[in-house]
Amino acid sequence: MVKAVKHYRPPGKKKEGNAAKFVTRSQALKQLQINLPLFRKLCILKGVTPREPKKKFKGTHQTYYHVKDVAFLHHEPLLEIHREIRVHERKIKKAEAKKNLERAKRLREKTPKPKIDRIIRQRYPRFVDALGELDDCLSMVHLFAALPAAESKKIDIECVHKCRRLAHEWQAFISRTHKLRKAFVSVKGIYYQAEVEGQKITWLTPHSLQQVVSDDVDVITMLNFLQLYEPLLGFVNFRLYHSINLKYPPILDPRLEALAADLYALSRYANANVNAIPSVVNSEASQVAESEQGDAKPKRDDIEHEKSELRLAQLQHQLPTNEPGALMQLVEEAASEEEEDQDTRECKNLFKDLKFFLSREVPRESLLFVIPAFGGIVSWEGEGAPFQESDQSITHQVCFSYYLLGLGDLLYLMMSTHLAIGFNFKIVDRDAQGHKFLSREYVQPQWVFDSVNARIILPTVDYMVGRIPPPHLSPFIDYEEEGAYIPDYAKTIKQLQAAARKEVLPLPGVGKEDLEDPQNILVEGIMDRAEANQAAQRKQKMMMLEQQYHNDLKKELQGVTNGKMDSNVDKQLSTGEIQTREESTANAQQKDDADDMGTLMMSRKKRKLLEAMKMSNERKQAKNDLIKQRKKKIDEAHKKS
Amino acid sequence: MSPKKQNEEDPHVSDSDTDSTYEDSSAADDDDGDSFGSPSESESEPAAGDDSEPDEHGESDSSGLHQEESDSSEDEVAPRNTVGDVPLHWYDDEPHIGYDIKGKKIKKKDKLDKLGSFLANVDDSKNWRKVYDEYNDEEVELTKDEVKLVRRLLKNRAPHADFNPYPDYVDWFKWDGAKHPLSNAPEPKRRFIPSKWEAKKVVQYVRAIRKGLITFDKPKEEDGPYLLWEDDSGLTEKSNHLAYIPAPKQRLPGNEESYNPPLEYIPTQEEINSYQLMYEEDRPKFIPKRFTSMRSIPAYENAMKECFERCLDLYLCPRVRKKRLNIDPESLKPKLPSRKELKPYPTACYIEYKGHEDAVTSISVEPSGQWIASGSSDGTVRIWEVETGRCLRRWDVGEAVNCVAWNPLPDVHILAVSLGQDVLILNTHLGDDEEQKKIKELLSVDTSTPSDDSGNSATSVRWLQDDKHGGIKLKFFKTVTAVEWHRKVLIHHLSKKLTQKLPFKLHGLAVRSTFHPSRSIFFICTKQSVRVYDLLKRKLIKKLDTGLREASSIAVHPGGDNLIVGSKEGKLCWFDMDLSSKPYKTLKCHPKDINNVVYHRSYPLFASCSDDCNAYVFHGMVYSDLNQNPLIVPLEILRGHTSSDGRGILDCKFHPRQPWLFTAGADKLIKLYCH
Repeated sequence: MVKAVKHYRPPGKKKEGNAAKFVTRSQALKQLQINLPLFRKLCILKGVTPREPKKKFKGTHQTYYHVKDVAFLHHEPLLEIHREIRVHERKIKKAEAKKNLERAKRLREKTPKPKIDRIIRQRYPRFVDALGELDDCLSMVHLFAALPAAESKKIDIECVHKCRRLAHEWQAFISRTHKLRKAFVSVKGIYYQAEVEGQKITWLTPHSLQQVVSDDVDVITMLNFLQLYEPLLGFVNFRLYHSINLKYPPILDPRLEALAADLYALSRYANANVNAIPSVVNSEASQVAESEQGDAKPKRDDIEHEKSELRLAQLQHQLPTNEPGALMQLVEEAASEEEEDQDTRECKNLFKDLKFFLSREVPRESLLFVIPAFGGIVSWEGEGAPFQESDQSITHQVCFSYYLLGLGDLLYLMMSTHLAIGFNFKIVDRDAQGHKFLSREYVQPQWVFDSVNARIILPTVDYMVGRIPPPHLSPFIDYEEEGAYIPDYAKTIKQLQAAARKEVLPLPGVGKEDLEDPQNILVEGIMDRAEANQAAQRKQKMMMLEQQYHNDLKKELQGVTNGKMDSNVDKQLSTGEIQTREESTANAQQKDDADDMGTLMMSRKKRKLLEAMKMSNERKQAKNDLIKQRKKKIDEAHKKS
Repeated sequence: MSPKKQNEEDPHVSDSDTDSTYEDSSAADDDDGDSFGSPSESESEPAAGDDSEPDEHGESDSSGLHQEESDSSEDEVAPRNTVGDVPLHWYDDEPHIGYDIKGKKIKKKDKLDKLGSFLANVDDSKNWRKVYDEYNDEEVELTKDEVKLVRRLLKNRAPHADFNPYPDYVDWFKWDGAKHPLSNAPEPKRRFIPSKWEAKKVVQYVRAIRKGLITFDKPKEEDGPYLLWEDDSGLTEKSNHLAYIPAPKQRLPGNEESYNPPLEYIPTQEEINSYQLMYEEDRPKFIPKRFTSMRSIPAYENAMKECFERCLDLYLCPRVRKKRLNIDPESLKPKLPSRKELKPYPTACYIEYKGHEDAVTSISVEPSGQWIASGSSDGTVRIWEVETGRCLRRWDVGEAVNCVAWNPLPDVHILAVSLGQDVLILNTHLGDDEEQKKIKELLSVDTSTPSDDSGNSATSVRWLQDDKHGGIKLKFFKTVTAVEWHRKVLIHHLSKKLTQKLPFKLHGLAVRSTFHPSRSIFFICTKQSVRVYDLLKRKLIKKLDTGLREASSIAVHPGGDNLIVGSKEGKLCWFDMDLSSKPYKTLKCHPKDINNVVYHRSYPLFASCSDDCNAYVFHGMVYSDLNQNPLIVPLEILRGHTSSDGRGILDCKFHPRQPWLFTAGADKLIKLYCH
């Protein structure tokens, strides 16, 4: 074979190969004539990532970008806009230095703003593409919605409010259309998984507590991402609301709300809750806003913050009441129900006809999102709730164990030793709510999440107030996978699910094979009767072990056996056994060797791959083993005590 | 000011506001009215109930006011009392309050008790208007106008409604008709030309407007979302740029991340402590924790950091599509034909040949397969009977034997032994008399005749008669490591007692050499390559590139077109000489040096032996069809030898007729593996 001749290339002439296809980052900066922060920002907005050339011609420590990517940035109008912005900033600085504040102000207002919509369209040509990559966007927006606005960290309050509004709009849509599939309370926050247009979207909502912005985080980078994500989620929400014939952004007129009478507002609330969108109320702040609505005081517009809260609160009025009339609503619902798939229907009807009441201390925001998403009706303690705690139709009340709340360790000890469950209710009685309704069940919030993940209504006994609830399992684990460790509670849930589907599954102790076996035996037995008759004529040419097995069956089935044949079989069987034993010892060694032989013939690449696979499998196995070992220890300790 | 005058106040001055608030704030006015003890005419009759509380602290005020009033309204009605401006408490103990104008004492009125005064107040609807005048000791009822006046004063207005605080200005100087101007200075020019600065400012604004810097009350446009993806069902392709790889999704959380995981997921305290001993990168990043209720979950401190790291991953990591194989690892192994079908091949050790006192370095099987010869580093050469394991003969050559080799001719039972710098050719005294005669003839050396090509080669090799062992001794100047026999061509022409020197230059150190089984072709294996020479034409036919670091052994397939090379790094290369100069297949089977590789003469078998005490037996089928590649199947690993001095199996040979393998180990044993 003749090698491709490498021609002499005079300096400065066109390159070839990797050097022609890729440029390093500093080269790209020079070419684009921008600084590094701006380059990074453009990369984030445009979705340009470094590439990995086969040959790193400038060394391995460099970052390489594709020439086309850089050219792509070069022709980007954003680049021009950012240059203009820089010019403006310089002008503003100059004006301020000359104390020309008016001009500075005017310039600041005139600063061009980069438009993201075109980029979003470019990056996600189809709506499905955008949905497919919405995970990070949602997680980030939800995180920023929970952040404290800090001047020093450059997180301004407007941004936080916008994030919160977008997040709530998204949740409202998911909840209303019953697209939520899974919810998982983890230490990191609450994971939700929804299925929109066939795309599984998972996002993480931090717990509704104050988040700390640590110093080792570069907020500017995150804000750059947010600059893309905010409009993206806005557009996605627009499209989603559009798809269910709602106006976006929801028009929220606080004045109209202020003028409205109490009764009117309440009826709207009720209406809203029937249609299951009260996902927006989140904190005390919103409660304040709501209470103000109730009193209809004309004081509201003094604080911006409260105003936005109010806007959020009104989202729930907006959504269900947007339909022109009751008739239209009926038509729409009928139409939408046809479109719904099996899964959605199942989700929609999970909590149907159940009425929930949330106590004061439960994480209201997430439950107000989850319960309506699965067709339940929910109310909470506080102002503006659709119905009061005394409502007799409430089926479930979600609250926490009171002994943990109010009483000391002594009671805790008593409870943990199960001295008196009844005592617990006394404590409930003593608490402010004062009354225990017999018509409803008192559960801990985990029950809601577990029921949602199992898609059945779990028995509430384990989740009763005052008990430590059973383990909360991740719905994202595939237990079908080979060798996976299945916790006990997962097995229990599986049984309950099967029971709900009116199926009979084997108990966890009994293996699956044992149960299947009788059927096999029966089938084989029928076949064997004919076969065995033939075999008697052919003087048994079948394998020994098989024959014995069949013979046993024949004994059972026919009752009568041929004595001669039996002895014959026995004799052969004995010889067979000896043979097999010999073989088995040899086989063991041979099997080892055979494994080696297989690897011997593999190419190096495949051999390495095999080794890597084996290693990872072993690691997985070791992890499972560790868990099993712990489980064993725990069980033993449990038995002893 | 007379009350009449007050009555005639202008209606337009009094505000409607004051009228409306008049009723509401009556109570407050009452108090105020009390405190402002206003002067009044004498016509107001004296009233009872004098010591109400506001009077005391309003005392000085009222007296002051009174004084002032009295001054201003001297001409009107004089007060009844004439004591003048003296402190009134001087009269506290007196029965009178002062003297009237005629000098008569004015008696104090008898006071009502509290209850009486209260009742009187309650009954009287005009009570709130009454003011007690301490100076004259009488109760004064304010008229409506007076109340209005008080109220205006409270509002910091002029007391009288008809008083205008902003009257029109009336100029004191009469301009029109004056003969002389006030100032005689000429009118300045600037009064007649437009302002330059104004013009500049105007130009500035005009320019700003033209440039669009100033826009007139254009509402700020809030670019909200719109329907970006209207109907994209037709769009199937992604953007026409470089292949876009979407970012991988984040790993979904497992049970261990639950706030309330099953107990077995929580590591014990010891395990957590042991994490501290791990390297930073091995340490688990997340340690499961358990909370008994949802409300006790704290804020996750790394939430921000993890989000940030994800961001970094998204824009700083090169994206490469990697195929993650989700397959059974066993499926990677190639499908080999069943070993059962490839039988017979040596599987188990049947006979051990014991006797040597040191490592057996070399063995050779007699062409008939009845005998094997072995050379050991204890300085002996032995001949064994294969089937019984009996040692037939034994020569003490006095030096460690490097190599032994039988003559391939079945009727010439001679053995070549290399030791040190010598090669011995031994008569084994096997076979019948006729054959022995032949051999003896062959092995007799005419010492007188000098070697044929006396020039160079005579100096390198000398043919000597070895009387001691009954054979021939060849003296070399350098150490001989191996000897090989060929059926037709001998490099050492035994019959002529001549040695032919290789006419070629060798590159590198020769490691092993071998003959082509049927043609006069000679293979020489150097460390890195194999050279193939035609002995008749005396030229290089081929050079094979092994790609090995150090080859150690070579064997040629009986067909002659394939050969295997074993190397010191434990690799086995199969060359198909028709195919290419590169190995057709390289097998990495031994972890240590391969000492020997060998083909079976008739069965499709080949074997390799190594210092790791294992011998591998392979099935190596060569097809006569040139299009079909040779089939190589590893068959068996033969174990049994033990290592001594880091050396394992030093030599292996196949039985010429049976699929049996002899191995010579460094553990002084020779083993026979049969099928």
